[in-house]
Amino acid sequence: MSQPTTPQAGQAQSGSASVTRKLHPLVDLQCDRAWFDELQNRLARGGPWDDWTLYQLTMEAEQAKRIESFEQLLCLRSLPSFEPMPHQISTARKVVHEMGGRAILADEVGLGKTIEAGLVLKEYIVRGLAKRVLILVPASLVLQWVRELNQKFGIPAVAQKKEHSWGYDVVVASIDTAKRDPHRDIVLGSDYDLIIIDEAHKLKNKKTTNYQFANLLRKKYCLLLTATPIQNDLDELYNLITLLKPGQLGGQSEFAANFVVDKRLPKNEDQLQEALSSVMIRNRRGDGGIHFTRRFVKNVPLALSDEEKALYDAVTGFVKERYEESGGDLSSMLSLVTLQREVCSSRDAVFLTLVNLFKKTAEDSPVRPKIWELVEKIKNIKANTKAEKAMELVKQFGEKVIIFTEYRATQEYLLQFFQQHNMIAVPYRGGMNRGKKDWMMDLFRGRAQVLIATEAGGEGINLQFCHHMINFDLPWNPMRVEQRIGRVHRLGQTEDVKIYNLCTLGTIEEHIVNLLHEKINLFELVIGELDHILERFENGEGTLEQKLAKMLLEAGSDTALKERLGELGSSLSRIRSEVRTGQNPYAPAPAPDLLVKMDKLGQSVEVRP
Amino acid sequence: MNEKQVHKFVNRYLDATECSILEKSPVHFTVKLSPVADRELTNRPYYWSFVDRVGAEPETMTFLFVTDKNRYDAIEEEKSRKARAPLPDPEEAAQDAAANAALGRSLGFLHGSLAAPARVPREDLYFGARRLDQLFDAAKAKGSFVYLFQEPEKRSIDPFSSTPYTAWLGVNIRVEFACDRKREEIHCYGVSLATGQCVEQFHDRLLTRKLTPRLPANIHVTKNGITYNKALGIVEQTLERRLRGYDYGWAEDASARLREELERIGSYYEPLIQNAPEENKPQIEEQYAQRQAEIRWQYEPRVTASAINCGIFHLEGID
Repeated sequence: MSQPTTPQAGQAQSGSASVTRKLHPLVDLQCDRAWFDELQNRLARGGPWDDWTLYQLTMEAEQAKRIESFEQLLCLRSLPSFEPMPHQISTARKVVHEMGGRAILADEVGLGKTIEAGLVLKEYIVRGLAKRVLILVPASLVLQWVRELNQKFGIPAVAQKKEHSWGYDVVVASIDTAKRDPHRDIVLGSDYDLIIIDEAHKLKNKKTTNYQFANLLRKKYCLLLTATPIQNDLDELYNLITLLKPGQLGGQSEFAANFVVDKRLPKNEDQLQEALSSVMIRNRRGDGGIHFTRRFVKNVPLALSDEEKALYDAVTGFVKERYEESGGDLSSMLSLVTLQREVCSSRDAVFLTLVNLFKKTAEDSPVRPKIWELVEKIKNIKANTKAEKAMELVKQFGEKVIIFTEYRATQEYLLQFFQQHNMIAVPYRGGMNRGKKDWMMDLFRGRAQVLIATEAGGEGINLQFCHHMINFDLPWNPMRVEQRIGRVHRLGQTEDVKIYNLCTLGTIEEHIVNLLHEKINLFELVIGELDHILERFENGEGTLEQKLAKMLLEAGSDTALKERLGELGSSLSRIRSEVRTGQNPYAPAPAPDLLVKMDKLGQSVEVRP
Repeated sequence: MNEKQVHKFVNRYLDATECSILEKSPVHFTVKLSPVADRELTNRPYYWSFVDRVGAEPETMTFLFVTDKNRYDAIEEEKSRKARAPLPDPEEAAQDAAANAALGRSLGFLHGSLAAPARVPREDLYFGARRLDQLFDAAKAKGSFVYLFQEPEKRSIDPFSSTPYTAWLGVNIRVEFACDRKREEIHCYGVSLATGQCVEQFHDRLLTRKLTPRLPANIHVTKNGITYNKALGIVEQTLERRLRGYDYGWAEDASARLREELERIGSYYEPLIQNAPEENKPQIEEQYAQRQAEIRWQYEPRVTASAINCGIFHLEGID
């Protein structure tokens, strides 16, 4: 006796099972008559008849579930297991009551976009306005979404695994799977009451297959979730809004004429803000309102053993030589810089890269014997200074520790190393399938003391139960460092977080740690702040990572390198203080600041764990 | 529904479906389901089709239904604290442990106690919980169509006199007022099949009577004056007349939003179609049509009436 919510519902039901009457020039009354047919049916057959108590209970249940008014947020009464924060509730309310259920949720990282989307979803389900729901998220987040919706919201969401999974009412899937055959036709052939797309900034480019796929989906309500609706230029925002409400900012040419000076510089900001306010909500952290637990960062300086030092020097010489030979061609050299970084991690990592390099080099090349010389040097190394220190630290903590490394080979080595010393360590890496990742997470939560993760494992894992972290080596991309820390230091973490950076003296690593720690003060930045700093620093001229590599190769001597790194550091710390004080907020890179200006699109939020 | 109301609801459902309650308190039930309830609640269609085909004695499931989580947990905590208080004699405990270990060695893995009952799954029932929704659905599945008689108020002294009864068509209707938002009302009508009289709040009237599925002695039902179809027409007309008097400002707003939205996408798609190369036009037009359909689906105001449940009720008197 319930009403389907499909768009054809109005017409499909006409016929003997229902009848339409005019109530108002704009509104018809549709009376369903299926119940009457069934009643007559049972009268003719003399039964079967139902129970009087259950008849009364049915009415009581319906009365309890009745939706009394258009305005209330009803989902709150059926969520006893958690209490959403005020800004999350007001966001959900605004989406449902003022935005007609189509919105971009663009809160800064960590303010709970998922919760907001969950509230909206629950509200529509409770009101009977949504039944068929599709949630598209990066593959690494599928299970997390399913878990969150089931546990927090009591929504029976299902992870898409097989073709038949699409038959469920609430399905969570990765967009990369959904857009492929045989799934594509099934998904595009469905009318969804609500579609939620997480990490929607991945749809900013309308030439991509993902964008085109998203544009073909048939939907009633739609939520796009992203912390960075604008990464580079205003067109990205325009494309996102076109998915939701085509024409909201005018046609492409009107948009360009009305709102864009330069692709990164908006004009008529008030009007733009006005136009955005009916499709986008962006809550931001209040100034100084971040009550996360504290971060303690400690650099652990280590002297390389003589054998390790010998290898490092040899590799450095080798890299310089190749660079000079190439006549300053940077692109091919970047992989060589990796060698230097790998020496600072483990001999296993260097070895693997050298072997690959050897295979790629022509047989008669003079480089080949030089590579062999390096391999010989590796053979001399018997112990890993860093691994021993890491072990010492882990024993000293006596609690759960997560160790991050950049290299798969180092990860393997460490696993073996810890095993030899009778410690339970489990691996985590991007290449694992979802089930295995979950399993590793459970092991770590349970009896394993140590989790050893490679960079790719950084996304989509939440480790609030652990508050010790060792950076066995550091990525040169500060965002990835921030991502690592974000796994542990997030809402829900109740302890102060202790971060240890293992840092080998007299190597490139020492410089990098110095740069990230001292100059950007990376480890103590507020979440989200780093985005702004880097955006401004890079300004479309190559990443920090590339600049570093270039510097390293070009610097003739150690002192020259130090000098140039010093300059780089100063410009970073200058940008940092600018971002901090909010001084000069519109130049030179306006993109993220445009969003900062959109104050009316949300509220300032004081966050407490 | 608060905890108390949930508790009462569950209690009445379990009674009505003849489940055996093994243990209960104001905050929980431990219950072995009856076959009827098991079929509705445990989602075991294969098991039940097996039982039906083989004719085997069904083994129904046992649940712990907690209707007030906080209080239940507090009570349990208290219990286990008291139980722990008098520490068992350490020597005895050691011996027990040794015995269990020895048994474990010879029998393989052993649960704490051989006599331990099978695990009883716990379900927290609160408004919004999926299991409670399932209970709601189960009630509805077996509480939709009834055929009932009022029990005579007092037993007639003269065994040969007969009380006149009237048959009523009763129906509870949910009315949904929907656009991109929604609200609902419940209307309960009863139509006398003798006279065609239509009564509102008929369900409340029923709740004041004692009803039974069995035909009581010494009564006679007045001949129906109108057909069921006529009664249906009367219900729908009464509902329609009533709804006509409502304020439709919400629908006007929704229609205005709908118009606005249609204009907005028109302003996007129409120039796009005009300027597109001929071969791309059909594709863009199709997308335009799709977007228009979506917006109508989203905003178009509509009112639908559907029955929650209904029945034929034979009540005392001639109305």
